[in-house]
Amino acid sequence: MSAAQLAIGVSLLISVSGTLACCIALIAIKDVFGRMHYLAPITSVTMCALLTAVVIREGWSVETGKTVLVLFVLLLVNAVLTHATARAARIRLYGHWSPQTDEHIPTTQSSGPKS
Amino acid sequence: MSLWMIAAAVTLFALVPCGVAAFRGSAFERLVALEMAGVVQTILLVLLAEAFHRPATYDLAVAMAFLTFGGGLVFARFLERWL
Repeated sequence: MSAAQLAIGVSLLISVSGTLACCIALIAIKDVFGRMHYLAPITSVTMCALLTAVVIREGWSVETGKTVLVLFVLLLVNAVLTHATARAARIRLYGHWSPQTDEHIPTTQSSGPKS
Repeated sequence: MSLWMIAAAVTLFALVPCGVAAFRGSAFERLVALEMAGVVQTILLVLLAEAFHRPATYDLAVAMAFLTFGGGLVFARFLERWL
């Protein structure tokens, strides 16, 4: 097995395992906003690993160009789609999009203002 | 069977959790599962195009990526107010 084949194998392993992990996490997480977080790694990490495998196999060709196009479309489109879904879910749940003055928004310890 | 074909076959199983999630929970939880399934199908089409070594098949993956966006956006807008 050559180094190129090994690199393709590792890239495909990362891609496939990332896809499976994100899809299994979809069942494990019950909250709709928690589930949305797993749409990001599947479009970024998984697709980048897949692009790496295609580049190693094909070099700079039409196939590589189209895979780059798919990657950029998924990156751009998925961010917009996740935002639209989160916005719609929040409006459906609370009746509004912007946070209210009396609404409790949980924050982490480090991100809060220091007294 | 090439490495790409094996990767595509294993990725096909990733649609099972998406399908299970699409049958359970609230409408928005199902919508997220549908969006995830669209991304998995796009990845699957890229893998199959590379496995069969047909450049024309990549166009299906590009179309699928755009259609996932359109379909998800329409569902999100309808679920927001009307359904």
